[in-house]
Amino acid sequence: MASNHINSILSSILQELLTQTEWMWLEEKGGAEPLQLMTAFVATPRFVGRRSVTISQENTIALNDEVPGFTVTDWSTVRLSRVWLLTCLDSSDQETYVRHIETLFDTAEMNELVALYSALPLLDYPQKWLFRATEAVRSNVGDVFDALVMHNPYPAHYFTEAAWNQLVLKTIFNDKPIHKIVGLEERANPTLAHMLSDFAHERWAAGRSVAPEVWRLSSGFMDNALLEDMKHLLASEDPNDHKAAALACFHATSSAAHTLLAQHPVLEKAVQHRTISWADLEFNDLNTYATKP
Amino acid sequence: MQQNHKNQEPNPSHFEESQGTSDQEVPTHRDLTWDEYRDTIQGMRFFDPHIHMTSRTTDDYQTMFDAGIVALIEPAFWLGQPRTGLSSFKDYYSSLVNWERFRSSQFGIRHYCTIGLNSREANNEPLAEQVMEILPLFLYKEGVVGVGEIGFDDQTAAEEKYYRAQLELAKQAKLPVQVHTPHRDKKHGTERSMAIALEHGFDPAWVIIDHNNEETVKSVLDQGFYAGFTIYPFTKMGNERMVKVVEQYGPERIMINSAADWGISDPLALPKTAALMKMRGISDETIRKVTYQNAIDAFGQSGQIHETDFANGLEIDQSQKMNGNTILRGGQQPRIAKESLFIN
Repeated sequence: MASNHINSILSSILQELLTQTEWMWLEEKGGAEPLQLMTAFVATPRFVGRRSVTISQENTIALNDEVPGFTVTDWSTVRLSRVWLLTCLDSSDQETYVRHIETLFDTAEMNELVALYSALPLLDYPQKWLFRATEAVRSNVGDVFDALVMHNPYPAHYFTEAAWNQLVLKTIFNDKPIHKIVGLEERANPTLAHMLSDFAHERWAAGRSVAPEVWRLSSGFMDNALLEDMKHLLASEDPNDHKAAALACFHATSSAAHTLLAQHPVLEKAVQHRTISWADLEFNDLNTYATKP
Repeated sequence: MQQNHKNQEPNPSHFEESQGTSDQEVPTHRDLTWDEYRDTIQGMRFFDPHIHMTSRTTDDYQTMFDAGIVALIEPAFWLGQPRTGLSSFKDYYSSLVNWERFRSSQFGIRHYCTIGLNSREANNEPLAEQVMEILPLFLYKEGVVGVGEIGFDDQTAAEEKYYRAQLELAKQAKLPVQVHTPHRDKKHGTERSMAIALEHGFDPAWVIIDHNNEETVKSVLDQGFYAGFTIYPFTKMGNERMVKVVEQYGPERIMINSAADWGISDPLALPKTAALMKMRGISDETIRKVTYQNAIDAFGQSGQIHETDFANGLEIDQSQKMNGNTILRGGQQPRIAKESLFIN
């Protein structure tokens, strides 16, 4: 069984959200034999109404203390109930536990997959779910992808660099916002920064744009190639590109980047005085595929 | 090699055994072209309770949407060849509740399914045993509106065993049952299917007996079951015959479907039959019942169908990105839903 502590925090959140009938059903299934528990995982929407999860400040902090980066904000009661059931599954025998979780993955529909991927940071034997997690990055289903990639601390902890880079690139490729990825800064690396540069060149060649926020990933690795990209951004017609270049150069360790920024005093001041920050470029509705006129 | 057309078999599809040309009926099926019937069904909405979309193309989805089909049920069936292992079943069931559901939504059609072990493959007992173990994990899923299509094919002991076992699963899950009736010895197979369902304590209003014809319908309706009719060129019901059945029995507990699959079948069987009924003077309310409402009433007992989800059309957003991949390929323009039933 996953940490008792996380299980009890989720219990208290659920008891505030569910009706007595719903909670009684769920609690009974949480203590049931594995196969019954698994069937309950599937059948949850028949017994628990789908409502939005609201959570107290206190519980938010408790969750984050227990599993940093983990949140249930914007979840539904069905998803939370399912994840709670998973934390009740007996994990004393690794082989049996893994087999049960694998069976749930193998037979899951979309909403179940969302719950399963959301639960990865809470499951035991975390290394065992690596392949499954990379499958979510390959998924064709937006919600499933989001469940693993957005607000989920699992990938940052366990992904190899190559897998991590694919996750970030695919997020960008799908026009999804990278600032919702947990561990973005900690896992930044030069290979990814250059992949992004190549990607941007392809986009520019096609007359398309790149979400300005992605350049936050290049700050720490400002070599000549990336500096050229900064110049390209500063010459762009989009003021958001200017801001992105200014922020990337300002946060860089490279003196060449600082020199470049100094050639744009208005921007430089804006960054120094914090009148612009990456938060200004954290857009959720991206459409970078539209060809610019 | 010389081709001898006389030896060519007619469409051996949807569980169909070739029956040679012995029972070729007098022309009782009429095909209609879009221009002939589009005005007749203007404004009508259809619910096809039996169609195997996995075997159909995106063009079918588009023409179905254009003709007013707003929702459908895809029963689990066999692939035209036997599966060799449990994984194939798992992936197939999984595709019904995942990918096919999504693909359908991209064309503005709400996709439901029934899940079950079909009668043909019930004869592979070692495999059937394994399938029975995973069925509950699929039966309780959202959008699964029944156990189906199950029943008899060769009417073997193994088929009966798994038909009974699945009736019990349906009772536990509180799901309606969609019964496939055999092509050979149909009358006997149909009676046997109904008798067994009653023996297991089923309310007949929770059982949809499918692929009826003039010979079976009376007994099915008299005993309180729902009667499904499959409009399928050459082999099952013709639409001209269907009109006569509706004239004779009225609309109560009758539903029409296409059972379109990988054989020579017609995904527009419903709108065409509706048009033919209209041309023959059958009332709009009767047409609505047999091509829309009765199926919703029967399968809606699962608690999984919410008419509001599709009554006014699904929001089509083909530009919605599923992880960067839509069914649109580079350069294709998404098709956007319009007010009108007809998109030109």
